[in-house]
Amino acid sequence: MSYEPKIVGFLCNWCSYTGADLAGTSRVHYAPNIRIIRVMCSARIDPTFVLKALREGADGVLICGCHPGDCHYSEGNYKMMRRYPLLKKMLTDFGIEPARVRLEWVSASEGQRFAEVVNDMTQRVRELGPSPIQQTLAQDMAER
Amino acid sequence: MEEQRIGVYVCQCGTNIAKVVNCEEVVRALSEQPGVVVAKTYKYMCSNPGQEMIIADIQEHGLDRIVVAACSPRMHEPTFRKAIQTAGLNPYFVEMANIREQCSWVHDDPQVATDKARALTFGALHRVAKHEPLERMSVEMCPDVLVIGGGVCGMTAALELADGGNHVYLVEREGTLGGNVARVDLTAPYLDSARDLITALVTRVEEHKRIDVLVHSQVSSLEGFVGNFTATVETIWGDGASVSQFRVGNVVVATGYKEFDASRVVHYGYGKLPNVITSFEFEKMLRAGRIQTKEGKIPQYVAIIHCVGSRSKEFHTYCSRVCCMTALKYAHEVKSAIPNCYVSDVYIDMHAFGKGHEDFYKRGSEAKTLFLMYAKNDHPVIRKAGPGDDCEMLIEVNEKLSGEQIEIPADLVILMVGMEAREDSDAVARLVNISRDKDGWFIESHPKLDPVATTTDGIYIAGVCAAPKDIPDTVAQARAAAGRILAKTIRGSIEIDAVFAEIDEDKCSGCRVCNALCPYSAITYDASKKKSTVISAVCKACGACVAACPSGAIKARHFTDSQIFAQIEGVLT
Ligand SMILES: Cc1cc2nc3c(=O)[nH]c(=O)nc-3n(C[C@H](O)[C@H](O)[C@H](O)COP(=O)(O)OP(=O)(O)OC[C@H]3O[C@@H](n4cnc5c(N)ncnc54)[C@H](O)[C@@H]3O)c2cc1C
Ligand code: SF4
Ligand code: SF4
Ligand code: FES
Repeated sequence: MSYEPKIVGFLCNWCSYTGADLAGTSRVHYAPNIRIIRVMCSARIDPTFVLKALREGADGVLICGCHPGDCHYSEGNYKMMRRYPLLKKMLTDFGIEPARVRLEWVSASEGQRFAEVVNDMTQRVRELGPSPIQQTLAQDMAER
Repeated sequence: MEEQRIGVYVCQCGTNIAKVVNCEEVVRALSEQPGVVVAKTYKYMCSNPGQEMIIADIQEHGLDRIVVAACSPRMHEPTFRKAIQTAGLNPYFVEMANIREQCSWVHDDPQVATDKARALTFGALHRVAKHEPLERMSVEMCPDVLVIGGGVCGMTAALELADGGNHVYLVEREGTLGGNVARVDLTAPYLDSARDLITALVTRVEEHKRIDVLVHSQVSSLEGFVGNFTATVETIWGDGASVSQFRVGNVVVATGYKEFDASRVVHYGYGKLPNVITSFEFEKMLRAGRIQTKEGKIPQYVAIIHCVGSRSKEFHTYCSRVCCMTALKYAHEVKSAIPNCYVSDVYIDMHAFGKGHEDFYKRGSEAKTLFLMYAKNDHPVIRKAGPGDDCEMLIEVNEKLSGEQIEIPADLVILMVGMEAREDSDAVARLVNISRDKDGWFIESHPKLDPVATTTDGIYIAGVCAAPKDIPDTVAQARAAAGRILAKTIRGSIEIDAVFAEIDEDKCSGCRVCNALCPYSAITYDASKKKSTVISAVCKACGACVAACPSGAIKARHFTDSQIFAQIEGVLT
C-alpha cells in the first residue's frame, strides 16, 4: 500500500472549524488524512501543540484561523502569524522540514477552500514522506 | 486518582453517519479501551430516547464521563451538556467527536471513514478523561437593547422590544427612518401602500416613550459581552458631531441592503439609454403618480427585465426573492395607469413561492402581459430603435420556450435590480463580531434551527442583512429577534460559559507579558502583589495569553494544555 501521511489540524472555532463544518454540510469531499482539533482561536495554538503532534506520529500539522482582520477576537490570528516564523525555525532546529507545518486562513463560508487546503497539504506531506522525527526519537532513545 | 467510568455513544444520525462509518466497529474498538464501561450505538443520539438512554446509563452504571461521537459540537454540544446535567453530572464532563461533518459527509471509503471516526472518537475519549468540573457564572443582564438600522426590520424589532417593556436605542445612519421600503409605492402581493405602512411604523416609533431614535448616527464601537455591552454612537448634526454612550444587554443588527448597480450589466445600456431605468426609479415615478419617458411622453410599450444582477454567474448567484412579484406589481400598475399600453415581462423563471404569490401571478398573466423566458446567462440585449420604428428601443431575446429569437419594442425598460450586501457590511460584522457569507450577508448561528441568533452571544441579525427577503419575512425575523431577547432579559441575569482563562498566582512571575496582549483588557495587574489576574467575566477565552505566558501560569479552562495534548495522543493512536 502506498504511504498515507497522518495530519493533525488545529482549527479556530469561529471561522475555520465552521468552514470545515460547511465542507461537511455541502458534502465537499477531501482527503481523509486529517484529524481536526478545535481551539477557540489560532492565538491559543502553542508551538508545543505542534511539536507534540509531530512527536505523537503526525507527519504534518495544519493550522487554520480566520482571515487577517476577521478574527473573532480581533487580532488573535496576527499573534499566531508572528509566532509562525519562530515555529518554523524551531522545526528546522529539530531537523524537521518546515513544510510539514502550514498556516492557512479559512473563513466560515469557505468550505470548498478548506477542502482544497486539506487536499493540497495532504499531497505535499505525502511527497515529503514519513516525518523524520520518529527516527530522531528512536536514535535519542538508543543513545540514552 | 479514582478510576474513571466512561460511557461512549456513537450516533448513526439515521443513515447520515451509518451509511459510511461502521458504527458497530467504532463501538467495538472503544469498548476495549481502559475506563470505558459502556459503549453503544444508536439511530439518533440527540433524540429524546437517545438522551434518555445516556441519562439512564449514567445512573445505572455510575458513569462520570461521556463521549458522544456524532455531529459537530457546534450543533449539539449544548444538548448533551444539558442531558448529562439532568443525570447529575457536571455539564463539562462530555466531549463530542465530529464524525458526521468531518467524516461521513466528506469521505466515501467505508474503511477509511471508519478508521478516521475511530481516531476522532479516541481523541474525545482521551480528552474527556482530563476534563475538570466547571461552574457557570451568573451575570446581570441589562434589559436595554441597541437596534442598528431603522428600516422596516429595525423599527419592528424596536417596537416589539419596547412594547415588551425594554428600553431601545434605534440607530439610523440616514436622516429619516424607513429604509428601502420608504422608496416603494405599492407593495406586492396585496397592493397596499408602502407609505401607509412606513408612516404607521415611524409614528409609533417616534412616539414610543421607551425608544430613543438616533438618526444621522452610527455605532462606532461596541465593547463588552452579552448582558453588558457598551455602545458608542456618533451623531452628525448639521455643523458638528456628538458622541453618546450607553449600556445595552443585546443588539439587533438590521442594516438591510443596497440595490445592485445596473450599469454593471453592459448590454442593458443602463446609464446610456435614458429610458432604461431601475425598479427603484420606477417606484419613484409611481409615487409621483405619472409613468412617462425621459422626454415626458406616455410610453406605449413597457418592458420589464428580471434578475438584473441576480442568479447570474457573473454577478450574484443567489435569487433576490422579491423582484418577480415586484415585476408583476409593475405590470399591474402600468396596465391600470395606461390601459392600452403593451407590457412585456422578460424573466428566467417566475419565482412565486410566498403566500398569495401564485394567485398574484395568475392575475398578472390574465392582465394581458406578454411573458418571455430567457435562459440563465443568456441575457437579452437592448438597443436604440431606428428612425422607422414606432418605439424608442428594441430588445432582443432568445426566447427559451419557443426556441426563437424574438425582438420586442419598448419605450421604457424597467430593470429589476437585485439586492446586494451593503459596502460597509464587513465593518459592521467586525463591529459586532459576527461573520459574513461569500456574498456578504451575515451568517446565522444555524440556518434552520437558530436563524436570527449569531455565533456571538447577544448579537442578533434580522431582515435583509442576513439574506434577501420580502417584508413579511423581514417582519417575522424582526419579531423573532425581539422575542429571543425578551425571553432572555425577563430573567434579569444570564449564565455565562465557564470557559475563561485563569492565572495561577504561584506561577505568575509578574512579567506582565499577558496584560497588553489581551484584546479585551481582561487582565489586571496587582502592583503590590506583583501578580496578574484575569477578570473572568470580561475574558472571552481566546487563549492568546495562555499560549504567550513565559511562565506557563495561565490556564485556559476547558482548553487546557493537558486536555489538548490528550486529544492529540488520542487522534494519533
Ligand atoms: C424594487 C424593490 C421593491 C420591493 N417591493 C417589495 C414589495 O412590494 N413587497 C415586499 O414585501 N417587499 C418588497 N421589497 C423588499 C423590501 O425592500 C425589503 O424586504 C425590506 O426593505 C427589508 O427591510 P430591512 O429593514 O431589512 O432593510 P432596509 O430597508 O435596507 O433598511 C435598513 C436600514 O438600516 C440603515 N443602515 C444600514 N447600515 C447602517 C449602519 N451601519 N448604521 C446605521 N444604520 C444603517 C439603512 O439606512 C436603512 O434605513 C422590495 C425590494 C426592492 C428592491
Ligand atoms: S504572562 Fe504569565 S507570568 Fe507574566 S504576568 Fe501574565 S500570567 Fe504572570
Ligand atoms: S484568554 Fe484571551 S480574553 Fe481571556 S484573558 Fe487571555 S487574552 Fe484576554
Ligand atoms: S478566532 Fe479564528 S483566528 Fe482568532
